[in-house]
Amino acid sequence: MTDLIKETLSPPRSILSQNASQAFYRLLAALLICAALTLLSDSFLSLGNILNVLRQASLTFFIASGLTLVVLTAGLDLSVGANVALSACLAGTVIHQTGSPALGILTGLVVGGVVGFLNGFMVTALRIPSFIATYGMLWVLNGVTYWYMAGETVHGFPAGFRQIGSGYFLGLPVPVYLLLIFLAIGSLFAQRTIWGQEIYAIGANPVAARLSGIPVTRRLLLVYTVSGTMAGIASIIFLARLNSAEADIGESLTLPAIAAVLIGGASLFGGIGTVFGTFIGASILTLVLNGMNLLSISANWQPLVTGIIVIVAVWLDMKTRRSAQ
Amino acid sequence: MKHRMTRCLALSFLITAASTQARADNETIAVFTKNQTNPFFQTVRVGADNMAKALNAKILHYIPTKPDSIPEQLSQIEDVVVKKPSAIVFTPVDYKAMVPGVEKINDAKIPVVNITDRSAGGKFVSFVGADDYSLGLETGRFLLKALGGKGNVVIIEGVKGSLTNVDRVRGFNDALKETPGVKLLASQPGNYQRLQALQVMENLMQSNSQIDGVLAANDAMAIGAIEALDGANRKALVIGINGTKEAVDAIKSGKLLASGDYNGFAQGCLGAMMAIRTLRGQPVISEIVLKPTVITSENYQPFDISLEQRTCPTFEDASKLGAK
Repeated sequence: MTDLIKETLSPPRSILSQNASQAFYRLLAALLICAALTLLSDSFLSLGNILNVLRQASLTFFIASGLTLVVLTAGLDLSVGANVALSACLAGTVIHQTGSPALGILTGLVVGGVVGFLNGFMVTALRIPSFIATYGMLWVLNGVTYWYMAGETVHGFPAGFRQIGSGYFLGLPVPVYLLLIFLAIGSLFAQRTIWGQEIYAIGANPVAARLSGIPVTRRLLLVYTVSGTMAGIASIIFLARLNSAEADIGESLTLPAIAAVLIGGASLFGGIGTVFGTFIGASILTLVLNGMNLLSISANWQPLVTGIIVIVAVWLDMKTRRSAQ
Repeated sequence: MKHRMTRCLALSFLITAASTQARADNETIAVFTKNQTNPFFQTVRVGADNMAKALNAKILHYIPTKPDSIPEQLSQIEDVVVKKPSAIVFTPVDYKAMVPGVEKINDAKIPVVNITDRSAGGKFVSFVGADDYSLGLETGRFLLKALGGKGNVVIIEGVKGSLTNVDRVRGFNDALKETPGVKLLASQPGNYQRLQALQVMENLMQSNSQIDGVLAANDAMAIGAIEALDGANRKALVIGINGTKEAVDAIKSGKLLASGDYNGFAQGCLGAMMAIRTLRGQPVISEIVLKPTVITSENYQPFDISLEQRTCPTFEDASKLGAK
């Protein structure tokens, strides 16, 4: 029995290398899109535009990176967008009423984290499937936000606070620094720490993980709380970048975040995926929009083009990987 | 802001409110709006509330919890047909899909006034709305005139296929046709979303070194475009549509050139007024299409007061405002 558990748990090595090569192929898909856009548009390949794409991808990445951990455990967090909306509206109101950006940032992070923790509580203690628990949470959050905002917009924040979203430091946009920092932390955490490896193990085989003494409940609480906190961070970037927030900002954020995780190579069945892959996924989605704007593709065709490129990118990736094996 | 603070006290006042409402005349007006998220419909609801208060009637709001949900509005109609309010003021979440719902209201013999989006079918005692096409045209003209009839502009479109967007963008394009000196560089979708408009503007600035004007199909997108311009240290004249509080603030501070007023407040007022007048056997105006007002730095003052404090137009005003 012990041998069996050891055997089931030993894959991390091979999962690691499998994940690394997978991320590499996704990177190729993204570079292919870049190459195509360079040929099609004169304005694509410039430092300004690359930084522009990275800054745009950062918002999706913040949401999607936390979500990646949830997906690694074979769970899903559908409440991330609604969480961003509530956190942003509350953080914005706090900044307005207290005049303190620090308190506002704290509010955003705490609200996001608490929502995430509640999701984790429902999934672990109440044993509600994550899809249902977070879907319910989405409605609860929307309800609270709509009621609280009553169709109003909270807008106009101090210039210093806005630097987080729209400022530059040594020629690079501030959100790009944050993106790189969270990419590094997320990758190191998932790949190089015991907790990270335990999260992969839970997704790969929850029974074996439990039997081998991994504190599954605590790790699950952790990943949902991290996912919520990352939504809180995204809400702060949103506020600082857009200088305002309203109740319905979340709806257009959830699906792209989930798509970024999956395009990045994560499996909904758990145990497979990387934070770096998710970054590539978020970049691919952003590149498509950037390219369509640069090429001035008619609004009529944009949804169609987006769909086809996403499908073709993942298909090409699967195909090259299969032929490489 | 003030509104949200008041909200915290809302519960404690519920009982007081209930007893006040009981004193009103026995007319109950059910007001259907599309969602709780768009500030525009909030102005419609406050307009209806103000009118009802002035005329001593009671308003019940029906709003889908999922924004613009067709099934939810249909079930709300079924609900209302059973409860039988005295009259209904109705915005369809979808002008075609809600026709069967309107027919149910007609079958129940409840008088109904259509506001904002014109329903494709059903019988209404009156229609009150604004004309998206002329809003787009007039606001667009204002921008092109401010540009001196020359320069490069971009259009940021709303949700593809929505009625408001089609008409507003057509208005923009017709204004452009009248001004051959202005070049349209791109017309890209921002889906009425602030974030998407910001990103679209950031991308368009990459491919166009000189953008002099931005025509956005709503205010949230216009403000998103302004944030993108500010972030890149670039300047352009920007217009939006809807006349939201945020837009009025931006006009006041000189960031936004103008916003076409969609007149939600007046639509709410007049919708409720026509419903109540029908019930009281007074004459009604069968169709009011409000003339577009372009809110600018010259005339923003009347729009710079809180909704609750604004006064509804009178019946005489209504005939001047755009009765047909």
